[in-house]
Amino acid sequence: MQDEESLVRRAQRHDQEAFAQLYEEHFDKIYRYVTLRIGNETEAEDMAQQVFLNALQSISSFKWKGIPFSAWLFRIAHNQVVDFLRRKKRIAVPLDESLTSNDNNPQLMAERKLDIEQLLLATKRLTEAQREVISLRFAGELSIAQVAKVMGKSQGAVKALQHSAIVALRKALSVT
Amino acid sequence: MRTSKEFDNVLDECLERVLVKGETIEQCLQRYPKQAAELEPLLQTALVAKKALAIQPRAEFKARARYQFRSALQEVASKRSRPLFGWFPQWATVVTIVLVLMLVGGGTVVAADNSMPDELLYPVKLETERVRLILTPSDIGKAQLCARLADRRVAEIIYMANKGDAQQVELIAQRLDKRLVMLAGLASALKAGGAPEVLAPAPAEEAPPPAPAPAGEARGGKGVHAGADNRAKLRMTVAHYAANHPQALRAVLEKAPESAKPALRRAIAVSVAGYKRALEALD
Repeated sequence: MQDEESLVRRAQRHDQEAFAQLYEEHFDKIYRYVTLRIGNETEAEDMAQQVFLNALQSISSFKWKGIPFSAWLFRIAHNQVVDFLRRKKRIAVPLDESLTSNDNNPQLMAERKLDIEQLLLATKRLTEAQREVISLRFAGELSIAQVAKVMGKSQGAVKALQHSAIVALRKALSVT
Repeated sequence: MRTSKEFDNVLDECLERVLVKGETIEQCLQRYPKQAAELEPLLQTALVAKKALAIQPRAEFKARARYQFRSALQEVASKRSRPLFGWFPQWATVVTIVLVLMLVGGGTVVAADNSMPDELLYPVKLETERVRLILTPSDIGKAQLCARLADRRVAEIIYMANKGDAQQVELIAQRLDKRLVMLAGLASALKAGGAPEVLAPAPAEEAPPPAPAPAGEARGGKGVHAGADNRAKLRMTVAHYAANHPQALRAVLEKAPESAKPALRRAIAVSVAGYKRALEALD
């Protein structure tokens, strides 16, 4: 955590390398989170990139008061997702093959694609809050404490939400 | 479904052990035999959810995004290290530049307006554009100006690519990207009727309040139509450029010297992505 703190402080002093390192470290997680929330790869690409451009513009406003940088970043992503869903109310398009294209084994790729399609379909049956907690925990790989910061809830509330979300996901997976 | 706090804690503990520390589900169930029957199906489901980790951005998108982000970083850094006017307040910089341009003479400014990146007056052109942007009061005016400036950048890229100057093509592509990012931000702001989108995270709430109506709509009457007309015109302009700029750049790619092609390809990617974002923000 100390390392991340010093990286963030350097980024706030406009150290390009420090910010580039933060970008590399968090980009895939933010991308996965956005994809799972909105289910659309093309939109997710642009939105994930915009999260970092927004973070670059507002990094000086970030205060290190026990809130991890990742939670701050996911908060920006969360705001963009909420805004996107509110404006577009769009139904997710089928997954593109490129989503899991970083593997050379076609059979494995096909299986993964099927798994992810199934997961995305199932998450659509969850409530917004349930989908948020699943996306942050499983795609963003955040801890309960970090999810609580992003969602503005207590850790107890997030644990209860996580429980209900997994139960709902189980039901949804049995339907899809 | 049982929702006791105790069970929520046990479930979370098991999730940490299974997903993060690599324990098996069986090992976890042995720790909590009383809750095992309820835990098992939930942990199995969590393993399915973990497959979300297989979602990966496309390699070519990541390369383009990284390039765009690096350009934005450089832009921020160069703004901070601008030596000539760096210590001046912004308004003083603007007044000084305008005065200098007036003293130098309108002819110079006009001549600079048509200059290309390898010409002496090009820095005057860029500075004049910057002043125009600062002095344009409305977001819609700024957005229209951004679109026109993007058009200029594309013309410059074509000119420099034909000369085989890869370095200049790269630099101008960064400027093009900057204008298109600004255009998309302003377009979002126009739609929301307020400041550009999320520059800093909002306080944690369930969902942000609905976007306020644009200023023109709040006043009603002529303002509504004028605002809508301007947005429609802006959209038409952007749609026109979105169709033509990448096409024009691709046409140059075919005959450009090999040395300029990689930079030109990045410029094409910047224009495609930039206009797409701007159009989405305007829709």
